[in-house]
Amino acid sequence: MASIDHISAAGTARTDKPRGMWAQGWARFRRNRTGMLGLGLVSFVVLVAILSPLIAPYAANDQSAMMNFGSRSGPSLAHPFGTDRMGYDVLTRIVYGAPTALAVGLGTMLVASVLGLLIGGISGYVGGWADEVMMRLTEFFLVLPVFVVILAVVRLFGVIVVGTPLEDIPYLNLTTIVLLLGLFGWPPIARIARAEFMRLKSMEFVEAARCIGATRSDILLRHILPNAMPSLVVVIALGIGSAILSEAMVSFLGFGDPEAISWGQLLYFNYAQLKVSPWASIAPSTAIFITVLGFNLLADGLSDAFNPRVK
Amino acid sequence: MLVTQFIIRRLVFSIFLLFGVSVIVFALVNAVGNPIEILLAERPGISQQAIDQMTAYYGLDQPATTRYLMWAGNLLQGDFGTSIIYNQPVWQMMTSWGLETLKIQVPGILIALALATAMAVTAAMRQYSRVDFGVMASAMLGQSLPGFFVGILLILIFSYWLGIFPSYGAYSMRSPLWGSHLLDALWHMVLPVAMLTFFNTAALTLLMRSNLVDILRHDFVTAARASGLPERRIIYGHALRNALIPVLTYLSLLFGLMLGTAPVTETVFTWPGVGYLYINAIQQLDYPVILGVTMAIAVMLVVVTLLTDIAYVLIDPRIRLD
Repeated sequence: MASIDHISAAGTARTDKPRGMWAQGWARFRRNRTGMLGLGLVSFVVLVAILSPLIAPYAANDQSAMMNFGSRSGPSLAHPFGTDRMGYDVLTRIVYGAPTALAVGLGTMLVASVLGLLIGGISGYVGGWADEVMMRLTEFFLVLPVFVVILAVVRLFGVIVVGTPLEDIPYLNLTTIVLLLGLFGWPPIARIARAEFMRLKSMEFVEAARCIGATRSDILLRHILPNAMPSLVVVIALGIGSAILSEAMVSFLGFGDPEAISWGQLLYFNYAQLKVSPWASIAPSTAIFITVLGFNLLADGLSDAFNPRVK
Repeated sequence: MLVTQFIIRRLVFSIFLLFGVSVIVFALVNAVGNPIEILLAERPGISQQAIDQMTAYYGLDQPATTRYLMWAGNLLQGDFGTSIIYNQPVWQMMTSWGLETLKIQVPGILIALALATAMAVTAAMRQYSRVDFGVMASAMLGQSLPGFFVGILLILIFSYWLGIFPSYGAYSMRSPLWGSHLLDALWHMVLPVAMLTFFNTAALTLLMRSNLVDILRHDFVTAARASGLPERRIIYGHALRNALIPVLTYLSLLFGLMLGTAPVTETVFTWPGVGYLYINAIQQLDYPVILGVTMAIAVMLVVVTLLTDIAYVLIDPRIRLD
């Protein structure tokens, strides 16, 4: 009896629609412990970011601790991570730093992905001299000392906008950082996009699409792009982490956005007093670490899930 | 294609690359605006006459192309200009501060290479064992630890709590430790080098371990095993050599990354290196220093990339040269 059930169960399974690329990837990803840990860390940061006004114990700019506890007071019940040099509650500032970090990571990768996909996609699909030119361009951007250039531009731009209408744009400094990070962050995406577009354009299903008269944009957007996505998602996840780290370093050096609450900025304000109030430096560093680790592990898990051969 | 031909081609490409970098850097800094106006934005109350004089002196009344040619021509002759703030030749400033940077960066890479080799060999010889998993997990964790976090922890533990190492600077302000300038300098280097080593080791170990694991599957390794060579000789004599080739490229990338993030490293340890010089130059809008340091870093990156490309070809004859 049991064996018949088994056969019929298997029989019905066979007539089911085959699982898609993403479902297969997810099935493999779920069994990957490090990948799931990464997903957990990332989800945690995202949750904190979404719920930040609800879970932060104090208002974002509440400096009332100055009155009762004083600035730089150690961890206590009222201030679990202590207070910082300016009398802010460190936990509150950390919680409000999460949306900033995610905005930086996602914004940067949005800019970088559009550029990288355009450049890499054209390069891989068209080939020939277009490919040659674009790959040289990519190589060129890889050699550029990006971080150093970004520091200079952020600072100089911050000076020149004083007195112009641009000054009134909210979070102007942060926007500049995100745009620059994106502008310089596309080469890894372009490289992967090129390789994938090159591989996919000579596949049989693309040939078939061409035979039934699919337009070029149809082939590119509906046939090639979705199949290139898994590899791209891995680089994008890695890129989000490194963008967050870059913004933290820019802010740590004192070139961050004074309007935004960011972990790097918190570190910048408190690093000089590391000896007196180590908690105010350790807490933001840990937040950066957890977020970057989360995205790195997520990327690792994704690459294992989508390219199971490479190990 | 001959090796010399290949080298010449890479050389020409490198020159184009540097030309491109110089155009971009110059354009970016110029796109931001007139340097004198920017300087004045933070120092109001300077007479129009002084402004005109400065404009004429720095050639700011000339079109951008003329100024670029002037600047690039001077660069080619080794003239990086004079710092606006310190009134010292930029080249002199860069060499003295740059030496301090190399003093921690080079040991940081060399020690990391040795450590990573040892760890990767240990892990790859016992693939999928607990040791392997431990090495991989700690390397993964280490790679995600931001460098400045490691630096902060090192300072907290070894400087503030245990009081063993100094927390800032490259030399003691007053009398050197133990009366010896050499020991004093070495003692100050320990924490920054440790931080750089930590970061580099994590990245290199991951790469080398996966290379080694790949290579140990090759037929020539099986042949070596079949001939009865001891495992140690197989790894060090045969497999490791091949595993090191991709590491070479990565080393040049790592060197670039380390140079690029030198401002952070040197801020954490208040280290008087070129990164620290750069941050100060940016804060004080010292144009010649900003341009000079950016170009110097670009030149170093391009030279290192070129050298790795050449070394790559010389080491591995299988690589196709076109």
